[in-house]
Amino acid sequence: MTANTAAPSSLQPDAMLPRPFRVASTAADTVDTVTLILEPEDGEGFHFAPGQFTMLYVFGVGEVPISVSGDPGTAETLVHTVRAVGAVTEAICRLTAGDRVGIRGPYGTGWPIREAEGKDVVVAAGGIGLAPVRPMLLTLLAGRHRFGAVSLVYGSRTPGDLLYVDELHSWRSRFDVEIEVTVDRAGSDWLGDVGVVTSLLPRIPFRPENTIAVVCGPEIMMRVTADEMILRGVSAASIYLSMERNMKCAVGFCGHCQFGPEFICRDGPVFAYERIRGRMRVPSL
Amino acid sequence: MSLISLRERSQLLSKLTSTELDLFESLSREMTAADGEILFEEGADADTFYVVADGRVALELTSAGRSPMIIQTLGPGELVGLSWLFPPHRWNWRARVVGASRLVVFDAVEVRRHCHENRDLALDVFQVVAAEMAERLHSTRLRLLDLYS
Repeated sequence: MTANTAAPSSLQPDAMLPRPFRVASTAADTVDTVTLILEPEDGEGFHFAPGQFTMLYVFGVGEVPISVSGDPGTAETLVHTVRAVGAVTEAICRLTAGDRVGIRGPYGTGWPIREAEGKDVVVAAGGIGLAPVRPMLLTLLAGRHRFGAVSLVYGSRTPGDLLYVDELHSWRSRFDVEIEVTVDRAGSDWLGDVGVVTSLLPRIPFRPENTIAVVCGPEIMMRVTADEMILRGVSAASIYLSMERNMKCAVGFCGHCQFGPEFICRDGPVFAYERIRGRMRVPSL
Repeated sequence: MSLISLRERSQLLSKLTSTELDLFESLSREMTAADGEILFEEGADADTFYVVADGRVALELTSAGRSPMIIQTLGPGELVGLSWLFPPHRWNWRARVVGASRLVVFDAVEVRRHCHENRDLALDVFQVVAAEMAERLHSTRLRLLDLYS
């Protein structure tokens, strides 16, 4: 089974040329994470598949791959949620309304939405990993009748590190989706769960033989979550992960994101666990 | 509440034989607890243990001069308390109820006495509690990795 695959961006003649976008607004999600709403200057909109990423260029600073975190049903704007972890992402988090950036893409494979139709869907996210699965969640909720039980399990370091808190509350108020949140550390004023994200899996409804799992977060978190899903009867072919490596060109030319025989930018970032499971345990990769 | 109704959700109860379950039933009672109620304090005698029926219990560390820190929360079906099985039978953490909850409380002193008298029961109980401990150790190790950094 393969995930939705975008047209090979390497065939586009202007694959390395960024489109100019303007920052429409920014909002701080946490102390080090910002959500930006960007508008294309050419007014032609931005279409993407949930799970894809763009190369976001801060002129004069550098370019980084960022997963799209907006609603695929809204083509007028491009939404990115970015955590400041280096020079470029720090510059992105300092952007303000009216600033200009360059965008290449979207690139890469998307989450398996067609494959999930008629099945239960478990979305597992850790930390900033909620951002790349947000378009998938919005798609699931927009077409709720096309899917079986839909659940989100989300783990974060502390309550202050949780993303999209208002949206999580809003989703929780629905009767057709299960939302479970846990943190690693909390004070006694926290009324939610404290524990590792996999501890939430026994609480959510899914039929293992008829489930698609979508997992996004740091690599170790994805691995342990995928392994726990397998222990609970879900096949490795039905578990999808979004991988991250040092992507530079994003079109499969430069080789910076090589992961064994594949390039994360071109062949991923979304892979079935069955395909990459062995490689995820190889230290040199 | 019959323990049978809790059996499917509880690792401890699901592993007991029918005879053992009957014994545990006779050594237990249901309780409701209000938000904030303390089930046990660090250092106190571990002469009870609990299985959560509904709600949540936070295990936490209290320390002078700082707010309590939650170590772990336990939800429906989960066992609250491990120290009752091992000398010196004293709690290592404080257990605080989060939100109105329903629990089954067991007489740990009597369960220990039966375990001394019945080695088959002891083996079953130790296996279940050891499995629970292994799972919590695994989770703790994962959290030590700071998974979301």
